[in-house]
Amino acid sequence: MVDSRARLGWILLLACGVGVMSGLFGVGGGVILVPLLVLLFQFEQHEAQGTSLVALVPPTGLLAFLNYAHAGHVNWTVGLLLMPGVFFGGMLGSRLAQSLSPGRMRRIFAALLFLLGAWQAASSWLL
Amino acid sequence: MRIAVLLLGLAVGVLVGLMGIGGGVIVVPALVYLHGFLNLPGMDQHMAQGTSLFLQLPPVGLGALYLYWKRGQVNWRAGLACAVGFLAGGYFGSLVAIGIPSKHLQGLFGLFLMVAAALLWHRSGSRPAAASPGSSSGGRANG
Repeated sequence: MVDSRARLGWILLLACGVGVMSGLFGVGGGVILVPLLVLLFQFEQHEAQGTSLVALVPPTGLLAFLNYAHAGHVNWTVGLLLMPGVFFGGMLGSRLAQSLSPGRMRRIFAALLFLLGAWQAASSWLL
Repeated sequence: MRIAVLLLGLAVGVLVGLMGIGGGVIVVPALVYLHGFLNLPGMDQHMAQGTSLFLQLPPVGLGALYLYWKRGQVNWRAGLACAVGFLAGGYFGSLVAIGIPSKHLQGLFGLFLMVAAALLWHRSGSRPAAASPGSSSGGRANG
């Protein structure tokens, strides 16, 4: 396609913005990237999720991680213990993703995230 | 503590594969709220975020990615562009985070989750996202 390069440039720019949030909040960034790829770049849902996983394979959080490690904000044991579960759970989840209705699945997840977020915000500022 | 953390990892992993995300959005609040149950003293918002970034250094999503790839649901070029953006953006974001007190960072994290939730919710209503190979996705994948 003609607009391929420009489109890729916009995606890169978007990813930079999402990366700031990922460093700020210690997350991979996929949770913002996936809906934005669908909303702004017309990705199909499964494709957006697969593409987001590509961005999570290289250690993209490395620079952010080094900053946290330098400040003493890393629990190494817990991190190591979480890794195998996430790997195998990830394979299980991607199989489930192919058989479940993605629309409903995402709504359940969105509702869960919203409640979690509201709880976090409330417990740090109100309670 | 060990078994519980291993199981937490497994649960997070299912979401990773299911939603195509890194898992940090669940790991961070889980560590902060379950630190008593998991017997993890000192696990505040900063420590949870640093640990989440650490756990995502190895390619924990690789198995999940392989299964998406087998079905042709991966846009490699866009994925690589995103990886570059994440690397650069993450550096600056982490510098900001380290300067914010843990209490406020936790609140901001909560707001971030609510925004992410709204984005996810918005899309799911408007268009069926079920995989339909050969329709629009094929052309988009390369374009």
